[in-house]
Amino acid sequence: MADIRADPLELRTAMEFPYKHSTGQTIGRFLAGLKEQGRIWGQRIAGQGVVVPPLGYSETDSSEGGDWVLVENTGTVTAVAKVHQPIERLHPEAKPFAFVLVKLDGADTALAHLVRDDADKVTVGSRVTAEFLPEGERTGSLRDIATFRLAD
Amino acid sequence: MTEPPKEPVKYVDANVYLPYHYVAGDFRAIYLNGLREGKILGSKDSKTGKIFVPPILNSPESFAPCEEIVQLDDRGTVTTFCVVNIPVIGRDLEIPYVAASVALDGAAISIFALIQKCKADEVRMGMRVEAVWKPAAERTGDHTDIQYFRPTGEPDAPRESYINRL
Repeated sequence: MADIRADPLELRTAMEFPYKHSTGQTIGRFLAGLKEQGRIWGQRIAGQGVVVPPLGYSETDSSEGGDWVLVENTGTVTAVAKVHQPIERLHPEAKPFAFVLVKLDGADTALAHLVRDDADKVTVGSRVTAEFLPEGERTGSLRDIATFRLAD
Repeated sequence: MTEPPKEPVKYVDANVYLPYHYVAGDFRAIYLNGLREGKILGSKDSKTGKIFVPPILNSPESFAPCEEIVQLDDRGTVTTFCVVNIPVIGRDLEIPYVAASVALDGAAISIFALIQKCKADEVRMGMRVEAVWKPAAERTGDHTDIQYFRPTGEPDAPRESYINRL
C-alpha cells in the first residue's frame, strides 16, 4: 500500500439547535406552579396514583387526569446516574454531578432531576430536598428547581 | 393551595449545544489542504482506476486500496439537483437557490455543490458547470473555498456520460 500521509488537521466546532417546546395545558400549569408558587404539583391519575410531573391522562385507561395534588419538596432517590466528566454546555453543570430520579413525598412516580453538590454521596434511598431558584429568577422551567440537595 | 396557577407557561426554551472535536485523517487532510491551494483532489482505485472525490482509502466497489492521489478538473456536469425555497438558519443565500450533485470530469462519483449565476429554473441534468473559488488569500482549507459552481455555457453533457455518476 502506498504511503500517503498528511499532518493531521483538526477542527473544534459546535452544533446548536435552538428549540422552543410548546408545553401544553397540563405541563404548562405544572411549570407555572414552579415559577409562581415555588411548589411542585402532581395530578391524581386513574390506575397510577399521584403522577409528577402530571400527565393529563391515564396510561392505563386513557381517562382524563383528575385533581391536582400538591406534593412535598422532599423525597427519596430511586435511581442515580453519575456524570464524572460533564461536557461543556451540553450538561447542566460543569463539575461532576448526578442525574437522579426522585420520588417526592406524596407522589407515586419519580421526577428526573439532578444533584449538583455531594454527587459522590448520593445513592438510591438518599433523602433529598428540592432547592428552588429565588423568585424573580424563575422562568417557568424544570430548571426553576436549581438542584436537589442531600437532606441532613 | 388547591390548584396550580390557571394560566399555564406556554413555552420552554431548550437549546441543544453539541461541541465536536473533529480530526481529519490523512486522505481528508490532503483533500482539505488541496482546496486551500485551489485544487480538487481525489483518490484512484488501484484495481478499477475509478477516481473518488473526496479521496477515500479503499474503493467501496472493488475493496482495493486507493494508492494514488490525483487532481481533478474543477469543472463537471450537474447530475441531480434540488431547488431550495425555504431559508435555512445560518445560510445567507437568496432563495430560490440550487443545491446540486456535480460529477467532476474524470470522477466516478459526484460532489455536493451550490449552483449560482443562473436562474434556479435554468438548472438541469447534464448542465456543464465550473467552480468559482475564493481568492487564494481568503481560502482556509474547507468546502467554502469553492464559493459555488456556475454554468460554463458549453452544450449539455449527454445522459450516458453522467447517469452512472449521480
